[in-house]
This record gives sequence, structure tokens and C-alpha cells, in this order.
Amino acid sequence: MVEKKRYKLNRLETTRLIGPLVDRHWAELREAKERGEKVAWCSGPLFIFPYAMGMKCHFMAGYAAYCAGRKAGDQVLEAAEADGELMDTCSYHRLHTGMAAAILRGHPVKKEVILPIPDLLIIGRLCTEMAHYAEALHRRLGIPVVAVDFPPPRRKEDLPRLERFVVRQIKENLIPTLEKVCGKEFDEEGLRRILRVLKEAATIRNQCWEFFKLKPTPWTLWDYGVSIAPVFYMMGKPETVPYYKALLCELKERAEKKIPAADGEKYRLYWDGWLPWAFLGMFIRKFVSYGAVPICGRYPWEFFPHPEYIDPDADDVVQNWVELYYTKAQQAAVFMPEGALEEVTKLVEEYSIDGLVMFASRTCRAWNVGQQEIINEVERRLGVPGVVIEADMVDSRMVSEAQIETRLQALFETIDARRRRE
Amino acid sequence: MENPYRTVYEWKERTGKKVVGCYPMWLPEELVHAAGLLPVVVWRSDEPVTVGHAYVQTFNCGLTRSFVDDAVRGKLNFIDGFVIYRTCLQAQELPFILERHVRPAYLEYLYLPAIFPGNATKDFLIEELERFKASLEKFAGREISDDDLRRSIEIYNENRRLLRRFYEFRRKNPGILRAREVMAVVWSSMLVPKEEHSSWLRELLSELEGRHEELLKERRVKGDLKVVLTGALCQTPQFEILDMIEDLGMVVVDDDLYVGYKYFANDVELDGRRPLEALADRYLRRKPTCPTKGDWEMNWTDEVVDMVKRNDADGVISLLIKFCPPHLCYYPDIKRGLVQAGIPEVMIEVEHEIVSLEGVRTRLQSFAEALRRGA
Ligand code: SF4
Ligand code: SF4
Repeated sequence: MVEKKRYKLNRLETTRLIGPLVDRHWAELREAKERGEKVAWCSGPLFIFPYAMGMKCHFMAGYAAYCAGRKAGDQVLEAAEADGELMDTCSYHRLHTGMAAAILRGHPVKKEVILPIPDLLIIGRLCTEMAHYAEALHRRLGIPVVAVDFPPPRRKEDLPRLERFVVRQIKENLIPTLEKVCGKEFDEEGLRRILRVLKEAATIRNQCWEFFKLKPTPWTLWDYGVSIAPVFYMMGKPETVPYYKALLCELKERAEKKIPAADGEKYRLYWDGWLPWAFLGMFIRKFVSYGAVPICGRYPWEFFPHPEYIDPDADDVVQNWVELYYTKAQQAAVFMPEGALEEVTKLVEEYSIDGLVMFASRTCRAWNVGQQEIINEVERRLGVPGVVIEADMVDSRMVSEAQIETRLQALFETIDARRRRE
Repeated sequence: MENPYRTVYEWKERTGKKVVGCYPMWLPEELVHAAGLLPVVVWRSDEPVTVGHAYVQTFNCGLTRSFVDDAVRGKLNFIDGFVIYRTCLQAQELPFILERHVRPAYLEYLYLPAIFPGNATKDFLIEELERFKASLEKFAGREISDDDLRRSIEIYNENRRLLRRFYEFRRKNPGILRAREVMAVVWSSMLVPKEEHSSWLRELLSELEGRHEELLKERRVKGDLKVVLTGALCQTPQFEILDMIEDLGMVVVDDDLYVGYKYFANDVELDGRRPLEALADRYLRRKPTCPTKGDWEMNWTDEVVDMVKRNDADGVISLLIKFCPPHLCYYPDIKRGLVQAGIPEVMIEVEHEIVSLEGVRTRLQSFAEALRRGA
């Protein structure tokens, strides 16, 4: 049996600052219509374009985190089911159709999780499901749609032509539609402004990432998870930079004073898959009870890991944006198991990881077919073991603490056994 | 159709051709055919998943799970090549598994795009098909001329015409053919050379059409209700479910299933065009609706309603492949639409490993009773 005791978690001060910032984002979104602003619901990596036009936007994952924060996830899912949605459907999808059901048919949900009906649905089809969500909302609410296929690349040689395809769709379909909806020309300068802020924010965030390399680590992946909005849906807002600066400052201080994220760090974990927004607390308590700390993961590392490629002054700034996903930073590659394997290997080495926890969401079919194979390959390459945990990001009916506990114990036992052999 | 593995293996032996497994549902098999290879559509085995458990979670559709299981168990090793495209989230991860467990001589992953409006879609699709053609040529060791491709397209169109005639026969003569037989006819066309299938089907049709009055008298499916089937993407449901529908007095008169009408609904229309472009145009067709294609303006429900009206059917049976996201996301709208149209419908979830069919029977039974009460 692996030892289980009460390790102490040392919470960061800075992460307390994120709450009000995030709240403001959602409040602005809710009030946008009253202020006469245009609203888009956006999926995939395209929201920077409506942002550049001054639209307010919201996203699948962002909304899931928001509902989770307000303990409204299950309630919105219930509204979806009452409206005929099936439980095996992607939870993010159900959250949105649940909200639509609340708007259309008055299914009861907390007021603050109801968002304004948007003027436009924007599909960035990085995940095929992201198209289904907009399609369903279009059928139910009649909102216009604009769509960009965003295929994740399997091989390096595919990158240039996929990039050309995406750039063309943005220029030929997305931008003209935004111009029509907003009644003005595309604001290229607006796009550059966002990129400038994003570049700076992501650069400082990367400096924060360096602290994950310390043993013991002064912060956890969960801390970063709750701090992701500044490079995600708060992208381009001026307050994002001071946030990461404050975070960096605190991490430096912790490093100097040798304050770890968890006292008695024993296992450093890689976390695959989405962050379990509604269950962050449950997971971290479990981890810490074994002296385990989640350090890195391919999803949180998707957010502009290479700010050096962001070029706000590029001649063709649309092209520059898409290059981040394809030929340059290759952010879209981690969406496929081939790219993921390389990314996981890199992360495991860079951050001295002891074990992989592959989170397989029961309602999300992205990433999970390859997960066991990735575990096997990483084990072969680096001798680092892993387990798959089946749960969900929001739907509490699909999360079994007992199963999670057993799998984690198995992982820690394997790590212990290896250590004894070494 | 007892054993698709043996069927395909025997054809491989007999023709001496290399077999290329194509992932459903919209790959242009004609190109594979034109390269002198034997294209087959990959299938869901009826066996429970065993070794594959370690590689694919239970919450994936039957085809995905069964295909991965077959791959890791070595059951697919006799297939020379595979072509996968982005049918859905699960499909895009399959090459990763195939590469490691089957190591086929040929493996191609295509980025067939969603059929979003705009020129970029078609241009990219044609570029993708050009690339596919070149990679097939390399594997087959021969060029595919436009004439080769035209010939293959003709062969495929001919098979599709015959299958449509076969469906027309079922529509006009309900009760002669059993639903499992109809599905087996379509499925076999996915597994054996089209030329052979067509000549066999031609004979079958002339016999059926010649004897239809006599056959009608001795209808094998005796039922007082007419139903249509919808759904079932990429794979066959268990034939037992089809039998059960009929045993309960419901005659299947039409369907829009993938191993059904969807497979042969549209021809490739050459009309003097470049054959590759004609293939692209077939892919881009918006009807019959396929929820994997990303067409938000399509209306699957209207097509189902039309099918009901065309056949004067009493009700609709939705076959929903368990854990199939494209269908899952669409289904609530179909349900709502049919309720609004006043058309009775029941949904049957098709699981890969069915422990007991009792639950299915109960649902179907109460559906049949409700139809009778309504009638
Ligand atoms: S990646 Fe998964 S969770 Fe995200 S939209 Fe797609 S199916 Fe849903
Ligand atoms: S049946 Fe559905 S989930 Fe399965 S492969 Fe086809 S589209 Fe994907």
C-alpha cells in the first residue's frame, strides 16, 4: 500500500486575483447587448478575430469552467436532458444546449449562467464536436453561423497545406462575415493590439512555467489552470500582463524561500486531457494526500507555448496567427496522438515527471483512443509509467472517486516499486 | 455475410489483388479501385472486444472499439492497406493504432474537409484527392489515368443504380425481403468487387422483379405496420434487432442508414468533367444528410419526414449507434421534429456488446402497440 497522509497544500496568493478578473469578463459578456455590443459564441482557435472587431465572445471550455465555478454545471446539464439531450453527448455541448433550453423553454438554471443569445456562432473545427455544437444551436435558436475547418495535423509534411487552407477560410469566409455582422471593416490594428498583449502575457507565463522545473515545485498545474484565462478568453486585455507579473513575483519569492506547492512532494505528475473544471478541488485533495503534484499537461500547454512566434507587426497578421497552429508553433499537432506523443515525451523530460495521469473524459472522444498507446510508448522511451482515469469535466454522475483512488494508488505503487529497484 | 473476414480474404486470394480497407463513410473508393486495388469498407465485428480493451475505452462506438480490437489482435493483418479520414474524433486517432499494431504496407490519412460553404473547401478537397491519387499510384506501382478513373466511376455508379433499384423493389413490395437480407446485400457490396456484386445483383433483381406477384402472395414478413429506419452511421446494427422489428409485426420499407441508402444514394456525376472533380462533387453533396459533414443548414428531420410520407409508413425507428457523437448531437432535433410532425418514433441504442436484447424487445414492442393504438 502506498502511504497516504495529510500533506499540506500551500495556496498561492496571486491566484485569488483571478476571480474578479474572470467575473468581470463574464459580466461584460452578460451586459454586452445592453451596451449595444455584438456577441459571438465561438469554438476553437478563432475568437481573436471577433475580439479584434470589438465583439464579446464566449467559448465552450471557458463556459464549462464558469459554470463549475458557480456550481451550476449539473443544473445546466439537467436542463439539457429535460430538453431531450442524451447523456453520452459531450458535456460542453450539453452545457450549451442546456443553456439554450433554459432560454427557450424556461428550464430553471441560475440566472448568472444564462448568457445573451449571440449575433453569430463561430465554428473553428479543431474538434469535430465543435461543429455539432454550433449546428445544434443554429437549429434551435436560428443564429447565423460562420465556420472554419481547422484540421489537426497528423504529419509534419501536412502542416503547410493545412495552414494555407485555414488562412484562406479565415480571409474568405470569417473576416467578411464579421465585417457584415459588425457593419464595419475588419480591424487589423485591433488584431495586432491583441497580439502584442498576448505575446507579452505568454512570455511572462513561460517564465512562470520555468518554476515547474524546481523540485519541489512551488506551484501546481491546477494553479496554472485557474490562471489560464489571460492567455485564453481574456486574451488581449491589459490586465492580463500585470496578473502574470504578480504570479511570477510570487513564484520567485517562493523559490527563494523554498516554499513548495505541497509539503513533502513525492510524485510529479503529467496530466493529459482537459482540466476537470468541476472537480479541481477533489482531485487536488486526492493528489496531495499521496504527496503527488500535477505539474504539466498537453492541454494547458496548448496556449501559445511559443510566444516568440507571435509577430504583431507581421505583414500578414492573419497568416501569423494561423502559423502558430501549424508551420511554426504547431499548436494544433497535440490534438493528434502522433503530436501528443512527442509533446508528452518532451514535457516528461523537461519537468522531471514521475507518472502520467491520462484523464479520459467519458463524453469527449478526443484524445482518448491513443492514450494507452502513449502511456506504453512513454514507458518504453523513458521508463515513466501511467494510468488512465475515466471521468468527466463537469458531469458529476460520471466521476467515480473509488475508481480514481484505485488507479492513482496503482500508479504510485508502480512508481515506488521502480524507485526501490533503482 | 456470416464472416466478413473470410469473404474479403477469399476475394483477395481469388483476384490476387491487394486489399485496401477504407474507413466509412465518404471515402472515394473509386480511386482505390482505379489503382487496381480491392477497396473494402471496414466493418464492425460481432465479437466482443477483448485485447482491445486496453487501447480503447468503453465509451466509444462499436466500430471504433471493434476495429481497434481487431487491429491489436492481428485480425486485420491480411489487409494490405488502410485509408482513414476524419469521419469523427475517434477515427482521427486510428492511424496511430494501426501504425503500431498492424503496420500495414499502405496507410493514408485524408483530411476530407467539412462541407462548409466557400471555394476554399472545394479547392482543398481536390488538392487532397490529387494527393491521395498520387499516394495510391505509388503503392500500386501504376498510374491512374483519367480513363481508368472514369471506368471505375462507371462501375461504381452501375452498382449504386442497381442498389437503388433493389431499394425501389422493397418500397413497392413490402414484406418480400427481410430487413437483414436487404442490409446484407448492401453490406456485401462494400466487401466484394463491385463488378461481381453488380452481376450477382442484376440476376437477383431480375428474378425478384419477374416473380414479384407470386412472392407478394407468400410474403415472408407478415406485419400490419410499415416502418422506416434512420441513423446507424458507419456500421451495421445487430441483425437480430432487425429480425425483432419484423417479428413484432413491423415491416421495414425503407431506410437512410449508412449500410443502406446513404451508401448508394448519389452517383458520381461525370458530365464531361474531370473525374477527380466529379468525385469531389459527390462528397460535397448535402443530401442525404450526414451529420459528420458539418452542414448546419441541412435538415435531416425533413428527409426522415419525406421518407415516411413517400412510403406511407406508420412510424420511424431510430437506430442510434451508442457513443456516436455526430448522431448523438443531432438526435434531439430529429426527435423534436418528428413529434412536431406528428410522426411516432422510437430510438434504439445499438451497443457493440449486447448482453441481452430483452430491453430492446420491450421498447420495440411498446412502440408497435402504440402504433396500433394510434392506427
Ligand atoms: S474536444 Fe471533447 S470536450 Fe472539447 S468540444 Fe470536442 S468533444 Fe467536447
Ligand atoms: S459511428 Fe459515429 S462515432 Fe463511430 S466512427 Fe462513425 S461517426 Fe464515428
